[in-house]
Amino acid sequence: MIPAIPQPDPLALPAPAWLLWALLMLTFFLHLIPMNLVLGGSIVGAIARVRGRRGGRPQEAELAHLIVKSMPILISATVTMGVAALLFLQVLYGRVFFASAVVMGWWWLSVIGLLILTYYAAYLLAFREANLGAAGTFLAWLVAAVAGLIALIYGNSMTMMLKPRELVARYAADGGGGQLNLLDPALFPRHLHMVLGAIAVSGLAVAVVGVARRKQHAAFAEWAVRYGAFYCGLATSINIFAGLWWLAALPRDVLLQFMGHDMAAIGMLLAGILLTMTGAGLLVLAATGRRAALAVTGSATTLLAGVVMMLLTRDTIRRVSLDLAGFQTVNWVAPQWGPIAIFGMLLVGAVATVLWMTRALASARG
Amino acid sequence: MNYPVWDIPASGLLIAFIAIVHVFVSHFAVGGGLYLVLTERKARRGGDGPLLGFVQRLSRFFILLTLVFGAITGVGIWFTIGLVHPAATSSLINTFVWGWAIEWTFFLVEIAAAMVYYYGWERLPARTHLAVGWIYVASAWLSLVVINGILTFMLTPGAWITTRGFWDGILNDTYWPALVARTFVAIGLAGLYAIWTAAWLKDAGLKARIARDAAWRWVLPMAVAIPLSLVWYLAVAARAGVPVAEIFGAGDAGVPALISAVFGGALATGYPLAQRAAWWVVVTAVALTVLTLVLTLRRSRRYGTPLASALMILGLVAMGGSEWVREDLRKPWVLGQYLFVNGVRVPPPDGAPAPPAEFVARFGADRFSVNALNTAGVLKTSAWVRPVPEDLLSPADYPARVAHQGRELFRTLCAACHTTDGYLAIRPLVRGKGPDALGGVIARLAAPVDAAGAAAAWNTPHVQLKTWRGRRMPPFVGTDEERQLLAAYLAVLGGANPAALAPPAPASDAGKAYFDANCAACHGPEGLAPFDHDARKPAELYEMIGRLPGINEMMPAFEGSDEQRKALSEYLASLPRPAPTGGAK
Repeated sequence: MIPAIPQPDPLALPAPAWLLWALLMLTFFLHLIPMNLVLGGSIVGAIARVRGRRGGRPQEAELAHLIVKSMPILISATVTMGVAALLFLQVLYGRVFFASAVVMGWWWLSVIGLLILTYYAAYLLAFREANLGAAGTFLAWLVAAVAGLIALIYGNSMTMMLKPRELVARYAADGGGGQLNLLDPALFPRHLHMVLGAIAVSGLAVAVVGVARRKQHAAFAEWAVRYGAFYCGLATSINIFAGLWWLAALPRDVLLQFMGHDMAAIGMLLAGILLTMTGAGLLVLAATGRRAALAVTGSATTLLAGVVMMLLTRDTIRRVSLDLAGFQTVNWVAPQWGPIAIFGMLLVGAVATVLWMTRALASARG
Repeated sequence: MNYPVWDIPASGLLIAFIAIVHVFVSHFAVGGGLYLVLTERKARRGGDGPLLGFVQRLSRFFILLTLVFGAITGVGIWFTIGLVHPAATSSLINTFVWGWAIEWTFFLVEIAAAMVYYYGWERLPARTHLAVGWIYVASAWLSLVVINGILTFMLTPGAWITTRGFWDGILNDTYWPALVARTFVAIGLAGLYAIWTAAWLKDAGLKARIARDAAWRWVLPMAVAIPLSLVWYLAVAARAGVPVAEIFGAGDAGVPALISAVFGGALATGYPLAQRAAWWVVVTAVALTVLTLVLTLRRSRRYGTPLASALMILGLVAMGGSEWVREDLRKPWVLGQYLFVNGVRVPPPDGAPAPPAEFVARFGADRFSVNALNTAGVLKTSAWVRPVPEDLLSPADYPARVAHQGRELFRTLCAACHTTDGYLAIRPLVRGKGPDALGGVIARLAAPVDAAGAAAAWNTPHVQLKTWRGRRMPPFVGTDEERQLLAAYLAVLGGANPAALAPPAPASDAGKAYFDANCAACHGPEGLAPFDHDARKPAELYEMIGRLPGINEMMPAFEGSDEQRKALSEYLASLPRPAPTGGAK
């Protein structure tokens, strides 16, 4: 039988696999945070906008305004970090990723059109918010809906690439690029888990914004911590069930390998659950008003640590699934140390430059 | 072939469409930043409030266009080439992941700087605001500096072919001329966009100042510099082994010969689409220059959006045509001298780093090189070929096998460029031709030659292609049986009766066999030039066969044995003469 997984290029891997993996994890984490704020924040913002426009809820109107103003920057950060993560993903897993992308070609390409649509909708809303009225609410929901659809398309790609033999059969049935992975029982719980996680992170962000503004706007700050805690707590609580559903929906062999043999993976999963629950709990505690700033800081720290654990768990599921499918890492490595060193130095310089510019803007009085 | 072929017609056009609209914006993202900063500085130094107001408004248009449409369509090109040429994308990523990573650091700064520049108009001190603008300019241009290396590598991979070295690939032969050309394109586009946005201004004096400045300092320098850098680019590309003259159907790669070929209308050889695209580039670039001069000298206070939009359209067509020509110069490679458009590789030259034993033990030897596929066959190598249904395996059902396996071979080997009836349609090319004649053409689509044009092996460093009638096609890869299946499938597309198809049997007449396989595509009864021996005797025909290119330069030299030559001359002499309407003599 012809191997279902494409043969690696007869070219050496340009860096040790561990370095590429570490950069994939780092850049994916840096992508995940703004992406969560776009996905979850657009939902929270749309709800706040609808409620804020009814009158009598000035804080919700203010929050909706803040989210609208931030959305273009958040989308930009999501895309910028996302391309780096996708780059490292393609070096390590390109052989299955490209095959999966072709099978769902039109859907995969539609991400570009959807991104442009949601990006322009976010800018239109940010620039013309005051004049748009009900159309603004439509745009706010449009941004949320399109962000959710893009996440679903990505979820399809990331799950379909884990089943190379199935990809061959799917392609034999239809090579036109119109297929999705909708019959995969793990797809929807996975998507639900991601959306709820995004809402929880966005709830945390609302509380963080409140704490940051507490000296200028105490009433808004108190309200924002409560409001953020509500979303974070509610989404995290539901997410426990969504996460268990996802685990239960994983292929039996993957689950056996994952739960039965890999103690580190089990540890990461449990740590992720505990940290996210602790983070959400601390935020709910902050909503009671006692030492809110400290509690929000603690919540942010633990929740983000929980996100890291979840991210590593997700990576483990991918690794185990691909191992079972016969995927093997390329064992010919010829590191390009010169370009790697240049990249490292430029990255430090880029981060410093971006920090200097944003600090200059933030501290400017205008 | 190692990856599935996205089964849509003319997938290459999708890349072209996204790439052309992207480059028209992304080059503006580079030059436009410089325009914003220099014009802001000029306005501030001169205390020119209206001009400063214009720059501020332009910066909003700039970020809306470049950060959204420009940045996302750039990602779109990446997505599209991953779908259309996954094997090439994989090789590029493997080779240049650190190039892209380096470019990403510039991209990161570029995006942040654009945002801070725009949001900082009312908030930042002028000096800081300009500093942020300069940071934007530097990072945007450096981003181009890196990507230019990867783009030019695809045409002229240079020493990378033997060293597989990162710097050998990036700093390849055409790197510098392409960088100069792209930099001037960026500068010129900044001027074009400025003229276009100024067209909406009601202040005629301000409009005139902006238009004249944009024309003289930005657009017209591009009009001078780009032809020079393109001449440099083509000369370097030709020296690096790109068959520039052949693609344009010119006698040599000099500018007069190329211009003559492009405007001469003789499309018997070369790549017609490249010739047409070059025609459009020259015509629209000249029109753009003339119109810019007219606007500057006669209508700078009165021009409106129609004239400004006409300039933009001319710029888009000129730029799109240039990118089209660049892509066509590479055909039939997708990565020069390494990977063909259909995902078939040439074997590595001697001395190039070869996979170590542990890699081969884990993944096997390369299954997708020309040599490997010629030995093992395409149908038994690619996982993405649809398996033959059991009922088609009967030897008696050859037409059904042709329909199935021929179609799979066409999809795997040809569909990267050709459709059946649409873009680069195959049906008109095969109409009226039989399986033997088509099999003969397919066998000689491309053969490896060295830099001097002598026959060589596929693993020759910097291998060149000797293509059939100068048409830029990859070689057929696969077994003889697969070639016959593909030829039969194409013959059916061209109108042959499927029921009459049968597996080729060894011909009893060696002369007829040679003629069918090598000559009939053009000189058969349905060919462009049906053969007419004009009452010549076999001995005379035997002599003529020895100097075929001398009789007509379109004919390849005879490549068979002496016995085949004798048999062919006797067979030719025995053929009935066609009706007297012309033909090959």
